[in-house]
Amino acid sequence: MPANKILIVDDEQVIVRLLSMSLKSDGYETLSAFSGEEALDVFEKSDPDIVVTDIKMPGMDGLELLKKIKELDPEKEVIIVTGHGDIDSTITALQYGASDFINKPVRDEALAIALDRAKTKISIREQLASYTHDLEDKVAEATTEIRRKSNFQRLLIHSSHDAIVAFDQDWQIVVYNPEAAKIFEKKPGDVLGKMTIDELYTPQLAQYFRKEAKNKANDRDMPWQEMTLETRCKKQIPVRYATNVLHEKHEFMGIVNFFQDLTEIKRLEKELIQSERMAAVGQTVSGLAHYVKNILIGLKGGSYVVDVGLRNNNMEKLTTGWLTIKKNIKRVADLTQDMLTYSKERKPEAELCFPNEIVDEVVDLVTDFAASHNIQISKICDPQLGEMVLDPRTIHRALLNLMNNAIEACLELEEENKKFVVEISTKKGDDGSAVFSVKDNGIGMDEETRTKLFTPMFSSKGGKGTGLGLLVTKKLVEEHGGTIDIDTSLGYGSVFTMRLPEQPGDSRNGNKKG
Amino acid sequence: MSKKVLVVDDDPDVRSFVVTVLEENQYTPLVACDGVEGLEMIQKEKPDLVILDVLMPRGSGIRLYRHLKTDDALKAVPVIMFTGIALRSFLKSQKALEEFKGEKVPEPDIYLEKPVEPQELVDAIKKKI
Repeated sequence: MPANKILIVDDEQVIVRLLSMSLKSDGYETLSAFSGEEALDVFEKSDPDIVVTDIKMPGMDGLELLKKIKELDPEKEVIIVTGHGDIDSTITALQYGASDFINKPVRDEALAIALDRAKTKISIREQLASYTHDLEDKVAEATTEIRRKSNFQRLLIHSSHDAIVAFDQDWQIVVYNPEAAKIFEKKPGDVLGKMTIDELYTPQLAQYFRKEAKNKANDRDMPWQEMTLETRCKKQIPVRYATNVLHEKHEFMGIVNFFQDLTEIKRLEKELIQSERMAAVGQTVSGLAHYVKNILIGLKGGSYVVDVGLRNNNMEKLTTGWLTIKKNIKRVADLTQDMLTYSKERKPEAELCFPNEIVDEVVDLVTDFAASHNIQISKICDPQLGEMVLDPRTIHRALLNLMNNAIEACLELEEENKKFVVEISTKKGDDGSAVFSVKDNGIGMDEETRTKLFTPMFSSKGGKGTGLGLLVTKKLVEEHGGTIDIDTSLGYGSVFTMRLPEQPGDSRNGNKKG
Repeated sequence: MSKKVLVVDDDPDVRSFVVTVLEENQYTPLVACDGVEGLEMIQKEKPDLVILDVLMPRGSGIRLYRHLKTDDALKAVPVIMFTGIALRSFLKSQKALEEFKGEKVPEPDIYLEKPVEPQELVDAIKKKI
């Protein structure tokens, strides 16, 4: 708001009127008073911006009025009208804070200049005031924002599920949240700003992070790691942790550690493994019971046929029944063998052998059975695969098992006129290992079957499998340091690939036949 | 003339057992090793009763059973299911198939879970023929 309201004070009414008229014509609003006392009244009531007062007046004079006004409001501009050469009064007026002086008789130009100066002063003061005011507001605003942000960060750290501990450049603890208090079992009040890394961590851990701080120039890209945290209370806590080394302008500022307590997760993991194991045992028992039941069916049926043969003196019945019994005795023997192989640790007994010869043996064993079901066996042996130090028994059992599975996979697929082929092949692997593949164009497997393939006692053959075959195969192969992979597609067949690395340093057994 | 009984089972041990039981009880045994062969035999030999395994390669017992029970010429032939599969599982699979195919097939006349004593099998056959 521009300073526009002017109070004119003089005991000479003519002068007041003249000045008033002149100022009004310049666009000012004027107020009049004819004595100091009256002027004070008007001043208090009407609050003028500028006061122009004569110095010499009866009663309260101009100086007195100036003093009073300045007491009421030191920011009001008071212009003093003096007589010529009245130096003493002028000095006093200056001391009281007069803005300007004009000499009597008052000339319009002089008054206009004095008023302009007063107005400028007022407007500068107003600007300054508003600026100062704004500045205060802005500072207040910024302070609030900073406080809010800092509160937010404090809450963030406070409520974090990770334990957060930060150290400054002197390794004093500056951040220590409740989760950290849980792990280290010390109250924040006893730690914050009072302890250093050496008092909170064990010496080894403190040493480790000091070294970390020295080594890690950049403060990012340190992945989460796991360790067992030992606290000074001698507690061992499994944790995941991450460390950030903090720098500002290449200056080491401190280090922050994040810890996640893994105790609960580890416990759940253990529980899960345990329950999986129990489920596996359950599957084992039911799978085995099924298989044993099938053997029992064979044995019972066979013994009935033998009984009939004996009673009727029928040699043919005797033979049939007896074969059935012998076959099922063999099944019991095989099952027992599989169970023992699976449950016992076994070291492969490596010796010099010809893998291709073992393939021949296995093919001889299954060809008749396959042929009786119109399944063709094809054999592709890599002549490069010569004599090697391997466990021939592992190869024999694994391949026999895979071949039998492949034949059964063909029997499972109910497709008339399909020409079923089981192909067994060998080759020398790039790493010198022996690679065996057994491929069939039988039923193949869906994803679920494939993933369950190596779990204990999973059989896709109804009661006709023990559920041990592939498990035993896998165990033998792994004990030999090898791998077994499957590629399969439901309705199109499967390929099992077994890789066995040569067993080093056992060539002295080369001549011993197992 | 003695009655003809067909046994359809992929397990030779089971076949020789059932055949022996049938012979001992004056039935004429016929054998088939899988579902496809079983159906051929039924159509050709017109047996008086069929003893049918469930889990077999090439046309399972389930498929053959449904075929028999939906074929007007064959549905009268009594069937004894003779299997290691529990009846509960068998009925469950039947129910699933019924919902899937939208056709209802009567439950098997007799359902025997292996292993069975020879006499049980004979009693079951005698109930039907």
